[in-house]
Amino acid sequence: MDLKEIKLIYKFLKNTDISELEVEDTRGKLSIKRGVVSTGVAPAVMATSVVTPTADADASNAPKEESSNIKEVTSPMVGTFYLSPSPEAAQFVELGALIKKGQTVCIVEAMKMMNEVESELSGKVVKILVENGQPVEYGEPLFHVEI
Amino acid sequence: MKPLADIDSQIVCLLKEGSFVSGQEISTALKLSRSAVWKRINGLRKGGYAIEARPNKGYKLSTSEKPYTTVAVSSALKTETFARVLHFHESVESTNTLARKLAQDDAEEGTAVIAQAQTNGRGRRGRAWHSPKGVNLYTSIILRPDISPVHAPTLTLLAAVALAEAIEEFIAPIRVNVKWPNDILINGRKVAGILTEMSSEPDKIDHIIIGIGVNLNIEAKALPEELAEIATSLREASGRAVDMTLFACSLYSSLEKWYALSLSSGFAPVLAKWRTYFDKVGQNVKVSEGGKGVATEGICTGIDDDGALLIKTTDNVIERVVSGDVI
Repeated sequence: MDLKEIKLIYKFLKNTDISELEVEDTRGKLSIKRGVVSTGVAPAVMATSVVTPTADADASNAPKEESSNIKEVTSPMVGTFYLSPSPEAAQFVELGALIKKGQTVCIVEAMKMMNEVESELSGKVVKILVENGQPVEYGEPLFHVEI
Repeated sequence: MKPLADIDSQIVCLLKEGSFVSGQEISTALKLSRSAVWKRINGLRKGGYAIEARPNKGYKLSTSEKPYTTVAVSSALKTETFARVLHFHESVESTNTLARKLAQDDAEEGTAVIAQAQTNGRGRRGRAWHSPKGVNLYTSIILRPDISPVHAPTLTLLAAVALAEAIEEFIAPIRVNVKWPNDILINGRKVAGILTEMSSEPDKIDHIIIGIGVNLNIEAKALPEELAEIATSLREASGRAVDMTLFACSLYSSLEKWYALSLSSGFAPVLAKWRTYFDKVGQNVKVSEGGKGVATEGICTGIDDDGALLIKTTDNVIERVVSGDVI
């Protein structure tokens, strides 16, 4: 299944009150339930195969790329964005730095849980989009990486 | 029924160093059969307690020193998996740092680290955690929950509930409060802290380290100046010394119980229990964010189902706070 499409639908749903969604087309059926954790594994995403996301969801999350070889590192959750492990410590990555896939690039904190965000990409950091200590949303772009 | 670790703890409390206590006395006090007492005494001996037994006289402690070792903790554990793999060290830089290394080397869920002292005990955002040897508990445990990273922060509330419950077992009838999201306070003074660190891909948690520091037996006069007014210990609060081995075991049992419950029945029971420890509803609170000044101020109306703090501001808007310090 195409994870990217499901992610887009999920991002779209995050900003709505919709708690259950079922979509069916020729390629199969997708059903999403979200809300309060009832089984410890929410949001549950079950897909037999994948449907095309609506144009709306696509447009609101379309990556604002200057060129096609620039990709985004996004926030895995809602929280506060930190560029360094502690106020005195050096930043995980500086502008212009070369990073490798799996490298820690920042911390996003929510409810005292420090989430060390690892880059899914290898490349050069060409833009840091969020200021240290600022709140970030789920899926919000944090870095532009030139691959 | 009382938790098993609690019975061991009560037996240890009944035993004296100078004189014998009869098996009958212990069995009457704890409503156990004589053979059950004998079995438990043997268990405690295996755990390193030097208990002398004499026919017709009973039991006594050969030394007042309570063992706090790998063997002592392992033999007193009542858990299925938590801390069954235990890395017990005299001193480490930070139990969270060591636990992370173990997790990166594929340590299984439930693997725990205890250090008798930390040379660089850490709190949130690089703050130090005072970690002198031999008086307090410093431990970290590795979890690998199959949940979305988006929901992982709720585990910090779970850790707070498990910790609060374990502490109350040892200081009854004194109660504790939780400061959002997960500091444990006795009479407004901090007695324990939790530092949770997660390593995840966007859709999958690799591991979560729950680091816990509890001031068990540190005396008020031994606290550094900057903590003297704001910290306390179980011993200071209750007047009783805490057996560190038995406390660690109770904490692991409590963590395992709440973790299993949240995986089987969802997060609602954790939230319900957490709310019983929270005493700020209806009060004015201030929250700072990102290490800056006051970001949100208003009347606290509780927490929502994701554990976020709810604050009603002066313009009657409910603000949802997911990170920051309540000051």
